[in-house]
Amino acid sequence: MHGNPLFAAADISASGLAAERLRLEITANNIANAFSTRSASGGPYRRQDVVFSAVLNQRLGGIRSGLGGVQVAGIVEDMSEFHRVHNPGHPDADKDGYVTMPNVDLPVEMVNMITASRAYEANLRAMQFFRQMTEQSYGLLRNQGG
Amino acid sequence: MSLTIPQAELLTRLLDVASLRHQVISHNLANVNTPGYRQLEVSFEDAFTQVLGKQGEASALRIRPRIVEGRDNPPRQDGNTVDLDKEIGNLNKNAILFSTAMQMLMSRVNMMRSAITGR
Repeated sequence: MHGNPLFAAADISASGLAAERLRLEITANNIANAFSTRSASGGPYRRQDVVFSAVLNQRLGGIRSGLGGVQVAGIVEDMSEFHRVHNPGHPDADKDGYVTMPNVDLPVEMVNMITASRAYEANLRAMQFFRQMTEQSYGLLRNQGG
Repeated sequence: MSLTIPQAELLTRLLDVASLRHQVISHNLANVNTPGYRQLEVSFEDAFTQVLGKQGEASALRIRPRIVEGRDNPPRQDGNTVDLDKEIGNLNKNAILFSTAMQMLMSRVNMMRSAITGR
């Protein structure tokens, strides 16, 4: 059914749901790794962020309107400074007793989590409305049959 | 020609516009966190009522809905102009408009069927 202009509104809302869900996952991953001092690239964990971009003038959004919702342009690493904490007992502490911690700030992640979940709800609401409207249209067909 | 359902064309146009507007609002909601995104709106009713009042139904039906950038909302820090609460409000209004038009069309279809079947 994907790409059928009849269900364009559902596709648009679904793209929003998927994007906000990814944002929630990335935020959860940041929170989970807020204290990871080791990562695959060597240093401490680097905070990640998603980049969204609007989809316009593609067939996905239906022939007439050309609206395609949102797509994830990419997941980027936050290149801001790592936090340095004095903790000589830590296994990853340097010779001065400082540990380089991930550049994750919990308040920032919390705010991102709230905005993402509110936006998720809004997209879900839009999809529910679309369903109601479509069912009303089907009512017209049902009526004519009976 | 009086054999057609009265105002069927007006009502179906209204339904078309409502479902297009639903798409546009969904698009705005999907892009509520897209930096630099400009909120979109459907412009139709003002032009439609103007022509309907002056030149009648036939000319008014030639008016097509247009998707335009909204100008009312100030941009947020990331350049985005979507207001989540306003969009939810518009979503509600639009759904009510849609079901009103649908109910009217349905009652007219039923009336016509009663006339045909004589029941």
